[in-house]
Amino acid sequence: MGPGVARPGRGWVLACAYPIVALLVAAFVAYPLANLLARAVIVEGRVSGETLARLIGDAHIRQVVWSTVWLGATVAVLGTALATLYAYAMTRVALPWKRVWHFVALLPTISPPILMALSLILLYGRRGLITHEVLGLQTTALYGFRGLVVAQLLSYFPFAYLLLLNLFRGLDASLEEAASTMGAHPGKVLTTVILPLLVPGLGGAALLLFGYSLADLGNPLLLGGDFQVLSSQIYQTIIGMYDVPKGAALAVILLMPALLLFFAHKQLAAKTGFASVGGRGTMHHPQLSHPMARAAALLLLAGVSLVIVLQYATVLAGATTKLFGIDNTITLRYFAAAVTDSRDALIDTIGLALAASAVTAVVGVLASYYVARTRLVGRNVLDFAANLPLAIPGTVIGLAFALAFNHRPLLLTGTALIIVMAFAMRSLPYSIRSGVVTLNQLHRSLDEASTSMGATSGQTLMRVLLPLLRPALVASMIFTFTRSVTTLSAVIFVVSPHWSLVTPAILSQMDRGDVGEAAALSIIVVVLVLAVIHGVPRLLGRDWRAQA
Amino acid sequence: MQEPAKTLDIRGLTKTFMLPGGRSVVAVSDFSLRIEPGEFVTFLGPSGCGKTTVLRMLAGLERADAGEILVDGRSIQSLPPHRRRVGMVFQNYALFPHMSVYENVAYSLRVRRYPDERVRSDVPTALKAVGLETMAGRLPGQLSGGQQQRVALARALVMQPDLLLFDEPLSNLDAKLRVQVRGELRRLQRRLGTTSIYVTHDQDEAMGLSDRIVVMNSGRVEQVGTPEEIYARPASLFAADFVGQVNALPGRVVARADSHVTVETLDHLICVPNQSCPTNDVLVLVRPEAVRLTVTHGGGPAGVVEELEYRGDRVEYRVRVGVTLVIAVEASLQRGRRIVTGDRVGLEFVEQAVHLLPAQAGGTAVPEDIVPGKAQAALISSI
Repeated sequence: MGPGVARPGRGWVLACAYPIVALLVAAFVAYPLANLLARAVIVEGRVSGETLARLIGDAHIRQVVWSTVWLGATVAVLGTALATLYAYAMTRVALPWKRVWHFVALLPTISPPILMALSLILLYGRRGLITHEVLGLQTTALYGFRGLVVAQLLSYFPFAYLLLLNLFRGLDASLEEAASTMGAHPGKVLTTVILPLLVPGLGGAALLLFGYSLADLGNPLLLGGDFQVLSSQIYQTIIGMYDVPKGAALAVILLMPALLLFFAHKQLAAKTGFASVGGRGTMHHPQLSHPMARAAALLLLAGVSLVIVLQYATVLAGATTKLFGIDNTITLRYFAAAVTDSRDALIDTIGLALAASAVTAVVGVLASYYVARTRLVGRNVLDFAANLPLAIPGTVIGLAFALAFNHRPLLLTGTALIIVMAFAMRSLPYSIRSGVVTLNQLHRSLDEASTSMGATSGQTLMRVLLPLLRPALVASMIFTFTRSVTTLSAVIFVVSPHWSLVTPAILSQMDRGDVGEAAALSIIVVVLVLAVIHGVPRLLGRDWRAQA
Repeated sequence: MQEPAKTLDIRGLTKTFMLPGGRSVVAVSDFSLRIEPGEFVTFLGPSGCGKTTVLRMLAGLERADAGEILVDGRSIQSLPPHRRRVGMVFQNYALFPHMSVYENVAYSLRVRRYPDERVRSDVPTALKAVGLETMAGRLPGQLSGGQQQRVALARALVMQPDLLLFDEPLSNLDAKLRVQVRGELRRLQRRLGTTSIYVTHDQDEAMGLSDRIVVMNSGRVEQVGTPEEIYARPASLFAADFVGQVNALPGRVVARADSHVTVETLDHLICVPNQSCPTNDVLVLVRPEAVRLTVTHGGGPAGVVEELEYRGDRVEYRVRVGVTLVIAVEASLQRGRRIVTGDRVGLEFVEQAVHLLPAQAGGTAVPEDIVPGKAQAALISSI
């Protein structure tokens, strides 16, 4: 065999890293989940459905499960519809100020979810600015199902919008042009061509929203009132009643619909995915210019944007006035208090989120390489396991981590590692997905050219593929950072006195009634994340959202 | 129930694209053309010459800045694409991947709410016309490239369009299939008699398909004519160069008679049939196949064979005459005595095939890497 011929098995560095990656995924995804499951089904040393059966037999719990599913389905349907309209208006209608509408719609994706609940309470709560001061009402209508739907829609529809925006943009424009030359007016093009082609994406958006609703802890805690959902029930069971087995069993119950959806989506995508035929078309989509269509689209974008902006303005006002709505004297003391009281939380959050970004990047690149470029045994299992966190509500991950790493062999309670890994594992699926997609777009002849010139597979990865993966890598790192800084559900059970985090701090400030300080801290988080999101890509000249 | 074919009148069509950063580029400038009913016209030109933009304006996919488009005398300018009755075959076919072949073809009839009986009779007819009646149930992804191309054609035909537009429809097929589909396309168009416009940058396609060719360059019409007119009597060096190899030799008219013009080129005098060339400084255009090589020197120009390429059916020679390279092509079977590299040969031009252009007409910029005869163009400018 000549020196220029690629031989398999030369990439021993990569081969050695494989078991390490596999072990990491096993230890931090498979093990905690298995542990959690075991707690729910093993009673006094033997397998038993007793705990679960008792829970399901409980009428209150059945009501909670039903409420969870009902809320999730409502948010999924309404959110998908809203996101579809928003994305359609943004990509297919000739409109001014699109950058503004886009920016505003994305604000909630980078905010702690509690922020929305906070602003809704300030505006529409018992003593809310609009309900009490302006309308003179003394109402609790905000608390419960309706308030949760609004809060979750505002918090999570932007994720669905982002997903659909990329799909709308990615559709081959010539398909729509062909339909219009064949006599279809724009509405007909939407219903006969665009939407049918987007079915997997619409399903994906709905499932995403359902998943976010299921996982949401902040809004149910603050706005739920008597309307209990599983995540808030788990929180109260563990934190309020210290009933760990019951909490674990509830988490398993919450896991069921989540996993079901995960598989449903895989099926849906496999069944309805259409390979593009013919050559590639153009991405320059026809823009609707009919005045009525433009007016309607503008009304939608501006209306939704106004609602979102109002939320942020309210929080900002809450953070900068003495007592929002009652004593509107401008003050900076909440910001000062937030920075001094929560300094440790801020520093810890940033440090641990950065560490998590690094872990996600390294593990993500390696895992996506193994999945997309090798035939190593068990790579499909690795892919599956690493993607599982996609389906698992943050509350469940957090609880599973807290329980699994509370004893040997992996005693991690109170360490930074448990938080970093909880952050990292939650974002790993996204990192792997974007890595695999990017690698699949790079022709294998690149690898072959590299190996034929004498590079090992490790060198090929480092010198050829990694530079090409960089945009995707940067995007997934920013994504991990953002998600980690803003999550509440995944970390509420793993924070410790040594390592405090911002979102639990905001929650406890809300509990104490320090609304001003909670608002100030929320604003600080939003600004921090905005700085990272816009600062890093500006340095690199790329919009991370196109990749994420 | 075939409707009579339509006339197309394009008057002064102009389109400027705004580029990011406030710059703009003129894609089409004052484009006018009249196309007779049933005619098959090809827009030929390099990429970026505006041919596709004109096509897209005809379909209503781009809005013209100025000008008029009339079908049988009625302006369709203000109509959106879905009201225009213009069938278009896209370069990538643009088949709907989620619909069967049948549904793809039926689409235009369904969105226009034609009765079901019409769909049931017209769709199979269209599929039969392109030889795909057995593929009706398949999805586009299950078809070969050639079959997809035919579905795209059937889909455009079934709506009985006033105009049939083709945007480089064969460019995704391999060479052999391209020739085959080209023939089928032409026969089908003749049979149906639909007024058609075909955009391509492939001279063979343009020559083989068209009643008339419109050679385009930088958003403007360079020449309109039958394939033969454009090949034999190009209006510019650009047109000459785009439809095949050409020797463009600088020359000077020394005498004009009723039937003949005497031109001095390559330091010799040649007599060519009289033609309306207004200037005395001229470019003498000679196609390589109109150059004959002789081993015995007559009175004409002579040179040395620098390169020789055997191409199977023909042999191509590059002969250096002073500072000029002249290309000559001979059919392989007609090769007399074997000429080899380094031989000294005489050159004779077939007089009827010599075409004169005013010397300025050669000034049109020829895009370097697109045109086959760029060596000549470069040479002209160097002299």
